[in-house]
Amino acid sequence: MTAVPLPAFIAVSTLLFFIGAAGVLMKRNAVVILMCVELMLNAANLALVAFSRRYGSVDERGSVFVVFVFVIAAAEVAVGLAIVLSAYRNRPTVDVDELHQLKG
Amino acid sequence: MDVVGLLIFGALAIGIVGAGLAVVFVDRITAAALLMAFTFLCNAGMFLLLGAETIAAFQVLIYVGAITVLILYGVMFTPQGDRPYALFFQKQTPLAGFLVAAVAAPVLALALTFRDPGIAREGGGDLQPLITSIFGDYAVPFELASVLLLAAMVGAIVLVKRDEEDAK
Repeated sequence: MTAVPLPAFIAVSTLLFFIGAAGVLMKRNAVVILMCVELMLNAANLALVAFSRRYGSVDERGSVFVVFVFVIAAAEVAVGLAIVLSAYRNRPTVDVDELHQLKG
Repeated sequence: MDVVGLLIFGALAIGIVGAGLAVVFVDRITAAALLMAFTFLCNAGMFLLLGAETIAAFQVLIYVGAITVLILYGVMFTPQGDRPYALFFQKQTPLAGFLVAAVAAPVLALALTFRDPGIAREGGGDLQPLITSIFGDYAVPFELASVLLLAAMVGAIVLVKRDEEDAK
């Protein structure tokens, strides 16, 4: 399957990554910010797999790091949601602009 | 074959970018979560197109299955309404858009002008190289990752658990 050139995959990955970055910067709901972080992780996965498959004759190990990214993403979303729920219990909001108890 | 591959790639790319944009710009949060799952599915299709079947299977299992369910759980347990009051002095959206565009433009230009040296490998599954790497060179990081998952599980339980006094 070498029909599609590698730069096309990298371009899609770049677009998805920066869409996620824009979401993280613009959204105020903590759950939506977590979703956008997942989008960014997925974009990185796409770039890793694309390079790993196309340069497989040199080194095939990019896919291994994708497995580690899966693990990190699962841990991150579990702990992140736990933090959001526990912050929501202390103060009934998930708006990151209103969670400013740490402000000096 | 080439044309079919390009068509599939185009459909998947439109799905990924369109659904990703919708996640950011749609207002209904449940719809955003389901669109995020659709983005993950299209990404699994990309992995299949690249010939990484094992990663595509993991993607469907972990992202489309587990993480989407977790996010929906978070949506269900938190209030999703309008903002209680407008924060007039925090208009970060134009600045954020400008910053992202300023960083994204050169990176995208770099990605599109990237010259493929054309040392593509032949077909074949990715299971064997993946497994030989994980259980060979990366055995210790793999075990550490399982410890990390255990720590995250315990941490999530501790964070969400109610105190005894609160329960009464």
